[in-house]
Amino acid sequence: MRRRHGGIIAAGLIGVSLAAVFASIGVGSESISFAAAWRDWCAGRPLADAPELAILLQHRLPRTLAALLAGGGLALAGCVFQALLRNPLATPYTLGVASAGAFGAYAATVVMRSAGLALALWGFSAVQVCAFVFALLDVSLIYLMAVRRHHVSSSVLLLAGITLGMLSNAGMMLVRFLSDPGMLAMMERWLMGGVDVIGYEPVVTLAAGVLPCSAVLLLQAAKFDQLGFGAEVAQGRGVNVRRLQTTTFLLGSFLTAVIVSEVGPIGFVGLIVPHAVRSLTGSRHRLLMPLSFVAGGAFLCLCDIFARIVLPGETPIGIITAFLGGPFFLYLLLRRRFGDWET
Amino acid sequence: MGRRLESHSVSFAYVPESPVLADVDVGVTGGEVMGVIGPNGSGKSTLLRLLCGFLRPARGAVLLDGQPLSAIRSRERARILAFLPQTVTPAFALTAFEVVLLGRYPRLGPLGAPAGRDREIALRCMRETETDGLRYRDFGTLSGGERQRVLLASILAQEPDLLLLDEPTAALDINHQAGIFALLRGLARNGYGVVVVTHDLNVAGQFCDRLVLMSARARIVAQGTPRQVLTRDLLTEAYESPIVVTEHPITGTPLVWPEPASAGGAKP
Ligand SMILES: Nc1ncnc2c1ncn2[C@@H]1O[C@H](COP(=O)(O)OP(=O)(O)O)[C@@H](O)[C@H]1O
Ligand SMILES: [Mg+2]
Repeated sequence: MRRRHGGIIAAGLIGVSLAAVFASIGVGSESISFAAAWRDWCAGRPLADAPELAILLQHRLPRTLAALLAGGGLALAGCVFQALLRNPLATPYTLGVASAGAFGAYAATVVMRSAGLALALWGFSAVQVCAFVFALLDVSLIYLMAVRRHHVSSSVLLLAGITLGMLSNAGMMLVRFLSDPGMLAMMERWLMGGVDVIGYEPVVTLAAGVLPCSAVLLLQAAKFDQLGFGAEVAQGRGVNVRRLQTTTFLLGSFLTAVIVSEVGPIGFVGLIVPHAVRSLTGSRHRLLMPLSFVAGGAFLCLCDIFARIVLPGETPIGIITAFLGGPFFLYLLLRRRFGDWET
Repeated sequence: MGRRLESHSVSFAYVPESPVLADVDVGVTGGEVMGVIGPNGSGKSTLLRLLCGFLRPARGAVLLDGQPLSAIRSRERARILAFLPQTVTPAFALTAFEVVLLGRYPRLGPLGAPAGRDREIALRCMRETETDGLRYRDFGTLSGGERQRVLLASILAQEPDLLLLDEPTAALDINHQAGIFALLRGLARNGYGVVVVTHDLNVAGQFCDRLVLMSARARIVAQGTPRQVLTRDLLTEAYESPIVVTEHPITGTPLVWPEPASAGGAKP
């Protein structure tokens, strides 16, 4: 069992990701000329007089950045939860974070509409705030289970997460049942996810949530290598396991909650991207974690390109991630390359 | 001037109703192998976790060179004492060399990136445990004896002074068991202090300088040289069933057997 050189894998993945980013900026319903946009930029023309530059700066670029941040964050969170619970199925999504967030968003939409309100908190819509709060609530429950009781196995936590997810889904169905069709269409669309942001406000929100959390998580990479050998081994090597668990749980969930509340519950990224990267890098977390972030961002960029060009109009990105990611994941499983897991 | 790790009247309980250890005084110094023996559930693993500082004593204190262990930062502690738990279950596939290199962690910088020197040390530790030939093997595919040697190399890579090992030979055949213990003896000769939990009283009697005999009644029945501890009376008390002690035909160290049930209590 020999390892491929980390530098080569990293260079390859980063190259592919850069290509995805450029493609994402270049591709869309309007074909635009970079040269023209560049001339406009150099001439310092206002955006109103430079339509190509405007599309580039106001639509393509923020959209690409949103995809990068959301995809990277989701993949990193998935990777971290898998390492934390030592289970290949553990991601914030399988722990019910997304469903809980979606339920929060649903409930908020309905309540606000029926009450005729449009509340906002520090520039965030009540829908976002509710999605965020419910997502954190879900994971806090899981965390309390994990910490308050000794020796809770990761299977128990996953079952708890699945249960909370099902409860959230039931709650969502109840809300749908009680609400009128006009509202339904709006909520359905949110549920499918989308990085079709306009302007930079959502990008800034995403960046403010994703970047600091990711940075702190990435700094813990070497500790996850230790944790892979069991909590007692890690402890014996001087890792403060309890603190690592708390930090990771909170940051990973916060990260996911920010992303879900901003771009909707985009599925699959957190599960497949870390596995795919792991099949290249092995479980060297100092390589695996940053590359999962890069690959996750690139994957969502690619999915977003598909979303823009495959069908007329915009296909919701959650559908694309599932259709692209699902078969690929099954392929990985059938090849018996379940990453590097000792299962 | 070896290190000394000792417990002073340490008491501990996971749940207040059932104390696991009460007023325990044990100590190990660099250069010696101390065996911890006793029936299942007598608190051997618990004692080791206390000596490592993973658990805090309810009363009493664990001292490292006279300083309370709880006052030492965990990273600093990991450079002095290394612990090998009873069961090690890697979640991911790693090569044997990667497993050993993981042991460098407490000696690495904040990012945990090993340098060339760390690889050299890891390899040297593999040579010391005669596992350097296995370096590219998948750890999960190693035999029980090979695994334990690789794990031993991985904690040696921490460059500790004291080793605390919880049943390192539990799954090994008689030959590999003796091999591991001979290795531990060699390490002690080089100045390491070794605390090792084992269920094999005969091997313990042959290879350990001192033994600590624990009983299920939250206390230490006896400690001292194998000859002092491995006696019929003390073992019968600790294991709560009759035990016979004879002599090893070659080494003269005590040999321990459960008394045959048919003989009952009618032995002379
Ligand atoms: N994490 C724990 N929580 C509660 N009780 C425990 C825990 N670990 C061990 N015990 C109990 O403490 C006692 C001593 O256990 P242990 O130290 O593992 O014994 P040994 O290693 O000698 O077999 C046993 O009765 C066991 O059930
Ligand atoms: Mg034990």
